[in-house]
Amino acid sequence: MNTKNDSAPSPGTPSSFALPVVPAQAAAAEEHGHGHDHAHPHEHDEVGAALDHAAGAGVATEGGYGKTYWRSLEERLGKPEYMETVGPEFPEGADLPPTGFARREFMQLIGASVALAGATACTTRPSDERMVAFTKTPPELTPGNPLHYASGMTFAGHTSGLLITAREGRPVKVEGNPQHPVNQGAAGIYEQAFLLSLYDPQRARVLRQGKAPRSVRTLAEEIAGLVGKASTGDGGARIRFLTEPNNSPVMGHLRSRIQQKLPNARFYSHATLTQDPSHEAAQAVFGQALTAQYDFSQADVILSLDADFLESRPANLAYARQFAHRRDPKMGSLNRLYVAETRYSITGGMADHRLRVRSSDILGVAAAVAQAVGGQAAGLASAAASKSAAPSGSAEKWIAAVAGDLRNASGRCVVVAGERQPAAVHALAHALNVALGNVGKTVRYLPVATESTGLAGIRELIADIKGGKVDTLVITAWNPVYSLPVDSGLAELLDPKHPERTKFTVLYTSLFEDETSALVDWFVPAAHQLESWSDGRSFDGTVSIAQPLIQPLFNGVPETELLALFLDEPFRPAYQILRDFWRGQAAGVADFESHWESLVSVGIVPGSTAAAVNVAANTDGATALINGYQAPKPAATGQYEINFVPDYKIYDGRFANSSWLQELPDPITKLVWDNPLLISPRTAEELKVERGDVLEVSYGNRKIQAPVWIMPGHADGAATLPLGYGRTGLHETTAQGKGYNANLLRTMNAPWFDGGATLTKTGETYKLISTQQHWSTAGRPVALDFTVEEWRTKAGHGIKSALARTRGDLDAPGNKLNLMPPFKYDEAEYKWGMAIDLARCTGCAACVVACQAENNIPVVGKDQVSRSREMQWLRIDRYFTGAGIFEGGYENRASPDSEPQIVMQPVMCVHCEKAPCEYVCPVNATVHSDEGLNDMVYNRCVGTRYCSNNCPYKVRRFNYLHYTQGKQPTEKMAMNPDVTVRNRGVMEKCTYCVQRIERTRINARIERRKITFEQSAGEGKQGELHTACQQACPTQAITFGSLHDPEARVTKLHNDERHYKLLQELGTQPRTVHLVRLRNPNPALAAPKASEGEH
Amino acid sequence: MAEPAAAGAAALDPLEPRHLVAPHHDDKSLNDTLLDFVWQKPGKGWLMLFGVTLTALGGLVLGVGYTLAKGIGVWGNNQPVGWAFDIINFVWWVGIGHAGTLISAILLLFQQKWRTSINRFAEAMTLFAVMCAGLFPLLHTGRPWFAFWLIPYPSTLAVWPQFRSPLVWDVFAISTYLTVSALFWYIGLIPDLAALRDSSKTKLQRILYGIFSLGWRGSGRHWHHYKIGYLILAGISTPLVLSVHTIVSFDFAVSVLPGWHTTVFPPYFVAGAVFSGFAMVVTLMVPARKYMGLRDVITERHLENMNKVILATGLIVSYGYMMEHFVAWYSQSQYEIWTFYVNRAQGPYAGVYWLMIACNVVTPNIFWFKKARTSIPIMWVAAILVNVGMWCERFIIIVTSLHQDFLPSSWDIYTPTWVDWTIYVGTLGLFGTLFMLFLKFVPAVAISEVKELQQELKHAAHHGSSHHGVEQAAAGTLTHGAH
Repeated sequence: MNTKNDSAPSPGTPSSFALPVVPAQAAAAEEHGHGHDHAHPHEHDEVGAALDHAAGAGVATEGGYGKTYWRSLEERLGKPEYMETVGPEFPEGADLPPTGFARREFMQLIGASVALAGATACTTRPSDERMVAFTKTPPELTPGNPLHYASGMTFAGHTSGLLITAREGRPVKVEGNPQHPVNQGAAGIYEQAFLLSLYDPQRARVLRQGKAPRSVRTLAEEIAGLVGKASTGDGGARIRFLTEPNNSPVMGHLRSRIQQKLPNARFYSHATLTQDPSHEAAQAVFGQALTAQYDFSQADVILSLDADFLESRPANLAYARQFAHRRDPKMGSLNRLYVAETRYSITGGMADHRLRVRSSDILGVAAAVAQAVGGQAAGLASAAASKSAAPSGSAEKWIAAVAGDLRNASGRCVVVAGERQPAAVHALAHALNVALGNVGKTVRYLPVATESTGLAGIRELIADIKGGKVDTLVITAWNPVYSLPVDSGLAELLDPKHPERTKFTVLYTSLFEDETSALVDWFVPAAHQLESWSDGRSFDGTVSIAQPLIQPLFNGVPETELLALFLDEPFRPAYQILRDFWRGQAAGVADFESHWESLVSVGIVPGSTAAAVNVAANTDGATALINGYQAPKPAATGQYEINFVPDYKIYDGRFANSSWLQELPDPITKLVWDNPLLISPRTAEELKVERGDVLEVSYGNRKIQAPVWIMPGHADGAATLPLGYGRTGLHETTAQGKGYNANLLRTMNAPWFDGGATLTKTGETYKLISTQQHWSTAGRPVALDFTVEEWRTKAGHGIKSALARTRGDLDAPGNKLNLMPPFKYDEAEYKWGMAIDLARCTGCAACVVACQAENNIPVVGKDQVSRSREMQWLRIDRYFTGAGIFEGGYENRASPDSEPQIVMQPVMCVHCEKAPCEYVCPVNATVHSDEGLNDMVYNRCVGTRYCSNNCPYKVRRFNYLHYTQGKQPTEKMAMNPDVTVRNRGVMEKCTYCVQRIERTRINARIERRKITFEQSAGEGKQGELHTACQQACPTQAITFGSLHDPEARVTKLHNDERHYKLLQELGTQPRTVHLVRLRNPNPALAAPKASEGEH
Repeated sequence: MAEPAAAGAAALDPLEPRHLVAPHHDDKSLNDTLLDFVWQKPGKGWLMLFGVTLTALGGLVLGVGYTLAKGIGVWGNNQPVGWAFDIINFVWWVGIGHAGTLISAILLLFQQKWRTSINRFAEAMTLFAVMCAGLFPLLHTGRPWFAFWLIPYPSTLAVWPQFRSPLVWDVFAISTYLTVSALFWYIGLIPDLAALRDSSKTKLQRILYGIFSLGWRGSGRHWHHYKIGYLILAGISTPLVLSVHTIVSFDFAVSVLPGWHTTVFPPYFVAGAVFSGFAMVVTLMVPARKYMGLRDVITERHLENMNKVILATGLIVSYGYMMEHFVAWYSQSQYEIWTFYVNRAQGPYAGVYWLMIACNVVTPNIFWFKKARTSIPIMWVAAILVNVGMWCERFIIIVTSLHQDFLPSSWDIYTPTWVDWTIYVGTLGLFGTLFMLFLKFVPAVAISEVKELQQELKHAAHHGSSHHGVEQAAAGTLTHGAH
């Protein structure tokens, strides 16, 4: 039995900070032409020699990145800017007037990091000028108290504004920056997992050329030589850069300076999912590339054309909040969401009406809607209709209803197209918004914040390399060898066997030794964003300053420092590069120091949020765009459309090494550690396959095998293949061997969907692991979900019975059904309670990961999850409801024509007033607190598991094995010191984040006042006490506070008409109430039956 | 099997159709017959069987060692199914133990003479079964090294166990049960140990049996004290027959789970325990009496009586099932109806459920027929089936109630691992090993009691008195001893 985690922390992974482990492929790349032998993966003597070399080089580079070399020259020159660069006698900033807390915080932080580095005594880093030890503890730093720093997280051309909690110099928790207009305090799953990637012990540690370790100085000399030659020669015409789409002002500045030096060098960008089609369409419709920003708070009717706007980055956090406000009857009338999509998405789960169509039919749907809406949109519609016919049958009625609803809500509606859709669909969406008068109301157009060259750029780059026009390729984009479509040609070009391979040099920087690093000549381990200074724009232009919270743990080089090497200038650390840039930007600011400190401490550059651009639509350009669109061939009989989607857990694979995300149940499928091939029940019937059957997917001339997962609500005749799995990165052992690589079927021409795939049953099966075995509510009043009309009348038997069973008055003082005397809370200062609004919850699972990060919840691995032992305290139950979903027995069945709806229900310990767990524990390990918490005393628990058996909500989690065993030193650093790390044999569960309660209580007591609580959603008073799940939630679906405070939002929600108590009929009297979800169907469409308790 | 006694049956009292002891024995021959097995060199059969049980016991050591080293994650238990083989086996073993107590204590108090030949056997079974059972509550805790926290003792932590929890009651029930059973068994053994001492052939045997027989000389004074002590222990044991399994049933009945939260549990568990216990006695006794030459003292009449008890308790168990299902329907609770009518009867474990019904409800009914009651092969197969059925019952109660309870999102399947099976088979090995040793080192039948009975029967026959007279005679022996 495998009792080891799949998360692969440990024994197999390198644990010494200084041990260079070099991939064999890289060695092969270095030795190519010498008849290298792949059969010898590791030449041990060579590694030994490499170690010696590293040790020798370490001494030579003492003093920092190439500073020994420069020091004498600059000092002799004695110019002030150089002096600053070299590193003054005093710690940095010590010669500046003490003007505020940002600098000090920075100092503490650095100091603490140094202290920590010293404590672990496992770094061979040369000390550099930034390290100072405490001679006197700064007044802000009290050991045991957390400090918060604004920072940011950049990926795929968008920067999320974050607030990082640091404990004794190490970041332990990521939250959204409350002042950031997109995040507004919320953080999604990727932001949460950002922390884990910092501490990942499998991160690359060694800068190497081929297999030989190199110092940064050697690299700098190499690059200086190259740049020197190129700048005087051909102006860098043979140099190419492949980066992530650039959204960083300082990087933009660096690039323009590189371009000054090397005017003929070219920059290309790559990210799996970009906004390029939308920008291209805006270019056609409005004459300039613009980013559409939607205001869902003003939209009464929303049409999503395959747009998963509630979850797909970059704007999801802001959109989800706006959308959720309009699902809350307290905040005005409900909006109505129409979604046309292929696979069931999170946005689809929130839809009032959902049309399941193949991705290639979305254009037809858009055209039909445009035709019906008229105006400028109609002009495009006929062109579009020739490319994709509108679906017939029930879809016609749907489209007519949508168009009618949109017309009635002119100026108060939104049409959104998804990133996977071609520019033609986006052009129709833009035109529809123009025609409906939404521009300037619910849709604003902003200048594009991200420079992206898209796949066209990649084609150009590959052609150049093939044409022998390139000597040097610098890759800072994430893992293009893996993430580019299979026919991009990059992987073949980089392959050491390729004849052209010897003619150019590739430099790659990344956090991990991955698929790309295996093929490059130079590999530079990147500094994590929490280890270095950077900045970046969010999609609306807001610039975040991302400050580091810790010294680089693994000798990583910040990207700015790496790119700055191409300037062939004296070394400046990333901090200096960033600061100098913003000093240049702050020309008009009198006191730059205080300006800089406020930038860093707030984390946001004021005034950087873009203003809307006035646009005028011109449909002619758009018609040309649509006419130029190559629609996928209509699928022949026996052929299916294949769709590629970024995975809900690990995106395009860049988070594949994050065990938190790998073990996060996919919001829709609830699968962990794998990617399935999703098909509809009807398609499964056609193919005669069941869950777990392995299909061979052949498309073009390529074939892969993938296990099937049948999804009710998936479009018929299509299959969806999530990206990001099938990773083979050398040291990414968490990611290795999980799922299949869907990129092996993607092509440059059809990166997102295409017809013409055939699916063949192989006869093999594969065990896909889902955390939720059962689809339906089995007719139980569990996740309550009614239409507005049903709710208004409360007439149906179902709704009456469900409310009677889940509300009742069991907790009324005079109730005779309860024989046990009630607990008294009159004396208690607080009476804790929570409310979860199902109308707001999209099921995005940010809360699940936030809880995991806050409460040191272990990852148990696929094998343990397959035994149903996952440890997440907070789970999101996903139920399919509606006609065609079989509710009776065991089978998860849906009729092939079912149009299911989804209800998401977060469930964690509900802290019962009359808790069934408490009275059965033989050792008093779970007890009722005087403020109503159901406390869990880990060190008293002997592990009889009776409490878990008797918990009707099944929210208790048991450490069946020693899941926290064998953590690497860096992994231990991610642990929240306020929360016990549990041993084997101990029960655990949600505590309402009792550590946060106590910390806030201490602060309030010191100030002789009561804790203030969140008072309302949206603006309003936000309160000072949040549970981790509540804090992360972008839709404010979770509220926590004291029921003694009549003004607290949680109290109001406990008294809200929509509240109900899960399994109240058992007499448990949960302290967490759920709020009924309401749907707002269009009366013109026969309302799909909403779920209800049938009894 | 042709019993010599059966031929003469027709001539006897119609109310006592069969002999309790074959009539051709006197005290000496009884002594010789019954001690013979102890003094014999271990036969091939015994050695082979002992090898088998010892191997299984080795499995137990392995399974338990692995569990302690790794944690109970090596078992199949999971999130909804927090208890599985651990508690199934616990309840099953505790139940098996009940026959011994019932036979020894209750039948003694009711002066059922037929108990004398089988009580030693049954008591030993009780003792060993409770030892097997006792392993599980200890092992199944996540941190067994802290399991002593369930025992109320004044600790510096100033924390007491939580007396509302049935698991704490279990600790009392099981520890009391083990203590009383062990004492009862041992005290009953003393005169026979003395007999062994007296017939020992080596010095070592004489010394060892001498120590364990506590200086028994068979004086009237000894007999006097012995009989009173035995009776008192019987009195103490009697409530245990009811209380132990009642408390075990509380482990389930006090919970909120559909399928557990059932008021019929205490009587139905006690009946089930006696049911399975008698079945186990029959299972073991049938081969034992054949291979140990005990057919003369463990007669068909004993077996038939036990089969009658199996029939009676089997009917009570069936009634319990019926009531569970009735109350589930009568309550109209959605969760109860799901558990009893959908999940158990049609769910993923329906096979186990129907096996349980077949073994526990259908099988005992063959004992309505005298042919079946007295046929050795039929009763042996039936008894084994009942044991299987009772194990299935515990599986059904525990696993099916847990694996699908209230929220469908948490529903999951339980599958035992090889460790689960190894430990289960291992406890069978432990039980078997102890039993083999028991058979080898002490007389499996209470010789003194059989001789006493023999005397009484003779006495009664002399006087031509009725069965009633035998009882009077038996009562008389309490005061003046058998010899």
